[in-house]
Amino acid sequence: MSSTSQKHKEFVAEPMGEKPVNALAGIGEVLGKRLEEKGFDKAYVVLGQFLVLKKDEELFRDWLKDTCGANVKQQGDCYGCLREWCDSFL
Amino acid sequence: MAALSNKSDQEIKDLLDEYGIKHGPVVDTTRPLYEKKLKEAMAKAKVTVTKPSPDRTFYREDQEEVTYVTCQTPVRSEGPSGDGKPYMRSRPEYSERDRVDDKPYSRPEYSERNRVDDKPYSRPEYSEIDRVDDKPYSRSKLEYRERDRVDDKPYSRSKPEYRERDRVDDKLYSRSRPEYSSGRQYIDEPHVYNTPSSSSSYSKPTPVMKSGGVVKKENTTSSGRLIPLWIQFLVFLIVAGFLYFIFTNMESAESSPFNKIQ
Repeated sequence: MSSTSQKHKEFVAEPMGEKPVNALAGIGEVLGKRLEEKGFDKAYVVLGQFLVLKKDEELFRDWLKDTCGANVKQQGDCYGCLREWCDSFL
Repeated sequence: MAALSNKSDQEIKDLLDEYGIKHGPVVDTTRPLYEKKLKEAMAKAKVTVTKPSPDRTFYREDQEEVTYVTCQTPVRSEGPSGDGKPYMRSRPEYSERDRVDDKPYSRPEYSERNRVDDKPYSRPEYSEIDRVDDKPYSRSKLEYRERDRVDDKPYSRSKPEYRERDRVDDKLYSRSRPEYSSGRQYIDEPHVYNTPSSSSSYSKPTPVMKSGGVVKKENTTSSGRLIPLWIQFLVFLIVAGFLYFIFTNMESAESSPFNKIQ
């Protein structure tokens, strides 16, 4: 059984719509605030960035680290969450 | 490259491709990330370029040495005349090897390499260097031993030394020096072997490490080998016979435990 969190399961279960960036797995309150300050106020904006980076894991992880200071686990969680969502809905 | 931020998106994209960095479109949100990646790639590239590799110099030398082969004629008056010749032919092998011996007796390049004295016969320095001394004859054998290397001593060197060294003489042509490298790491070793006399006969890769005493045979043989081939075979047979003798004796000892069962 994959070790995905509850947040992850909820996010990938349905289209994200207007969900806030906090809804992403791995993005908590602190990281969410940092992302909003940079202009990424909604989950779909982060999705947009993920797609512009061609869904590449390394690039996305680096970008996330540079933008909001996410650690390795948080980067992995967010990446996995977005990737799975894309597999289902994109 | 300075001022990455001043470059256009297209230029950034070209740079990313140049460094082989996987990337997507360069837009406002991705640009800082790519600039950072380019900076790291450039710094890394600069480091690798400036780092000199010591081996390079070594190889270069080798190449140079290779040319020597034909020039050298067996100067050795002492050793069998044939030595020089056989040596020469082996040279081509040498050059491949990391060359070293190219110079039958005159190894000029040796100096860089860890090498040994290029001087074919008069190498007093040999003792210090742990490398191959070209000194063909003049060096006292003692030095040879210490060095544990191939002294190239062309012919006059007593064979025992030869063996100890893990010798390379053979190696000259057959470069099988793995033994040599143990501890010595000479790349030059091949050339150490230059002892032309021994090299030709030594084509066997395995060093003659057999008892040092066995080597005593003077290389006066005209065949150009330090130790005649037949002698080597003889020694081998003696050792093999000895081992067989021991083995058979061991077997008989095993039978004694069975007697106890009664």
